[in-house]
Amino acid sequence: MSRSLNDASGRRVRPGRLGWFDSHARLLYGLFGIVGFLVFWEFGSRAGIVSEYFFSRPTAIIEAGIVEVQIPRFWVDVQASLTEFIAGYGLAIVLAIPLGLLAGWYRRVQYALDPWLNFLNSLPRIALLPVIVIAVGLGLASKILVAFLGAFFAIIIPTIQGVRTVDRRYLDVATSFGASRRRVFLTVVAPSTVPFIVTGLRLGIARALIGVVTGELYAATVGLGVMIKFASDALQTDRLLFGVLLFTLTGLVGVEGIRRLEKYFQRWRPIKAGANP
Amino acid sequence: MTGTRTALQARGVRFGYVDPTSSEVLLAIERIDLEIPEGQFVSLVGPSGCGKSTFLKIVNGLLSNHEGEIELLAPKAKGSAHAMVFQDAALFPWYSVLSNVSYGLMCQGMSKKEAQARAMPLIKMVGLAGFESKYPYQLSGGMQQRANLARALTVDPEILLMDEPFAALDAQTRELMQAELLRIWAQARKTVLFITHQIDEAIYLSDRVLVMSARPGRILADIPVDLPRPRELHIKRTPEFVALADRIWELIATQLHAHGQPGA
Amino acid sequence: MTLGSLARPANRSPLGLLGWRPSERLVFGLIGFVVVLGAWEAASQLKLVKKVVLSSPSLIWDAAITDISSGVIFPHIAVSGTEYVLGLGLALLVGVLLGLSIGLFRRLNYLLDPWLSALYATPTVALVPLIIIIFGIGLEAKVVVVFIESIFVITVSVMAGVRAADAVYHDVAQSFRASGWMRFRTVTLPASTPYLLTGVRLGTGRGIVGVVVAEFLTSNSGIGFYIGLNGSLLQTARVYFGIILLGILGLVLGELVRVVERRFERWRPQIN
Ligand SMILES: Nc1ncnc2c1ncn2[C@@H]1O[C@H](COP(=O)(O)OP(=O)(O)OP(=O)(O)O)[C@@H](O)[C@H]1O
Ligand SMILES: [Mg+2]
Repeated sequence: MSRSLNDASGRRVRPGRLGWFDSHARLLYGLFGIVGFLVFWEFGSRAGIVSEYFFSRPTAIIEAGIVEVQIPRFWVDVQASLTEFIAGYGLAIVLAIPLGLLAGWYRRVQYALDPWLNFLNSLPRIALLPVIVIAVGLGLASKILVAFLGAFFAIIIPTIQGVRTVDRRYLDVATSFGASRRRVFLTVVAPSTVPFIVTGLRLGIARALIGVVTGELYAATVGLGVMIKFASDALQTDRLLFGVLLFTLTGLVGVEGIRRLEKYFQRWRPIKAGANP
Repeated sequence: MTGTRTALQARGVRFGYVDPTSSEVLLAIERIDLEIPEGQFVSLVGPSGCGKSTFLKIVNGLLSNHEGEIELLAPKAKGSAHAMVFQDAALFPWYSVLSNVSYGLMCQGMSKKEAQARAMPLIKMVGLAGFESKYPYQLSGGMQQRANLARALTVDPEILLMDEPFAALDAQTRELMQAELLRIWAQARKTVLFITHQIDEAIYLSDRVLVMSARPGRILADIPVDLPRPRELHIKRTPEFVALADRIWELIATQLHAHGQPGA
Repeated sequence: MTLGSLARPANRSPLGLLGWRPSERLVFGLIGFVVVLGAWEAASQLKLVKKVVLSSPSLIWDAAITDISSGVIFPHIAVSGTEYVLGLGLALLVGVLLGLSIGLFRRLNYLLDPWLSALYATPTVALVPLIIIIFGIGLEAKVVVVFIESIFVITVSVMAGVRAADAVYHDVAQSFRASGWMRFRTVTLPASTPYLLTGVRLGTGRGIVGVVVAEFLTSNSGIGFYIGLNGSLLQTARVYFGIILLGILGLVLGELVRVVERRFERWRPQIN
């Protein structure tokens, strides 16, 4: 494990012998944070300091989860939500990256798209839900569309920005060797836009998930959002929080996947010691 | 060994930068007339901000809309008219040394395999053998500049344009690189237009030193350097060398006094 | 003389960054805007698309005029505005303080990091049903939703900002024996300002989403309610009018943040 000479606030850490505790501080504190909070929650709830009616407690959530996974309907919900998320997010990736690269590259395309992109981006596309339901009904398609709309803008905007902010020096180098436009694009613009695209992909996960959840809470017949809604109507906060936990896990898995992708595409960057994700 | 052909001819070159917001024009180069015979090593010195980089960019075709004419030798069948060694190495950080050095050839449409095969001897020549697959961040500043030089040489340019290539190096590495450059130049026999702030570097390397005025730039003096070649580093301590350096320094000093502090 | 003259192509600047002409931006922007609006209207008039799904610019215009002149829309704007301002204001206050503390104190960072990562990855709208159970269906619940939706992006951005200052600037400050507060004010704060503003920008967007989702799911007033109600009445033009109101709010807030950004970013070189 590498250790930087500067701590989080940029302060110089006194060089000296590192004890076992120092070198594992991050892990230990993190574990303490998790365990401490869970213990407080559990026993606070049992002792009546934390309202069990509102917040449930960790063991109750686990029990609810164990009951839940034995119901066939639960797996139908999981499948529906995952399908919506993957289809919506995937579609957004497939369309937003090429379009974003193109729009950034061809100045005039960007000028023409700019007003609409700006407007659509600053508008909560979730608000289109009622219209989308009118258009494609209560099925999976409406949620796929909402997830897509969320992720698409999250990805295309940084992509365009990435193309527009390519370092001039590298363009000069390519131009001075007489590189064709195609080559400039492939060898300079595309690689230096990768970090921006990755940022977009990361934001896109959150947006697509928000779309799936909201869509299912608002109007759907199957999905984990529907399960959460039923749980809330029945005031079963343990089951409700189990559903939320599943969305958290999906988000974490997605973010971790992006992190791996980023690591692969960024081999040429020096590894920053102590850099935080 | 100067040939009879002219490698670079500039007539009445004048250039101003247009501020995109206010549309005001900042005149960077007032007038440059210049003729460089084939094979000559010419240095351009002058106060900071006098338009040296600007002139090089014009010759390199990176800036258009200048006034006046620039004529260069037509490139050989598989060569290039000019190649630039940039101020900071400007290697693509996302490519390995080998990919960086073969970049210019690939731009000319050569296959990757052939381009890399042709790049290898140049990588050896600049002393980077064994570092082909490293990324730029894994090289020292001097090594990055060597790669930068190799990248420019692969395209077999008629004229090599160098913009303060050693500015970022420490004094010792810099001296070594100067000697290296002379060795490589003697081997490759290129016309070179070299920009530097260091007067001793200019004299040590060049057949001719051009001194520019403060901005807007023009050429104040054209000083031949008749020191014998090949030159060893200790030539810098000979009286002839020191006298030349004093003369050039005085010319530049008049510019600094006339215009106050040089712009950063 | 044996000069081979070399023809040089004109402007080779690959992205046209140099030859930027403002008029072109305007012209193509207008063309894009007008073409899409025209195509939308035409498709609707020619019945190529269902009016109940896509409405049309003229129908939306009519709906807007009707609901503005009858005053129907204003109470909804007032309700949503109150929820938004309170929720976002609270999120800014708490988020900035939290982000600064976590960024400054390593141990606090270690302690909270797993929770922040988890909450950051959670689509917090999934918590709306729980918030309704806890806070009921009044103003409070919506303020809490806006707060939760926007606080994490703000906190995480500020946290990243505190660490953005290059160690060398800290060293400079330290070499002048700057006090801790001085170092915070002259190094940490300026370096983190752009991150803070990014957080604010993301937060304003998330906050609007919070308002809409909360009002969709439980409300009897507010823009989100207006949109949802008109959706179920198949009054599509009114749905779009509501959405456009939110879009305008988003644009205005985005522009405000940009103005502040420019004020704080004068020392940064312009990229193009
Ligand atoms: N991209 C640009 N846009 C506007 N003005 C510029 C630009 N580049 C340079 N200038 C201006 O043109 C003048 C000449 O700049 P140039 O870079 O050619 O100087 P230089 O002689 O290379 O200086 P140095 O020795 O410090 O590198 C300077 O006054 C500078 O302010
Ligand atoms: Mg320069």
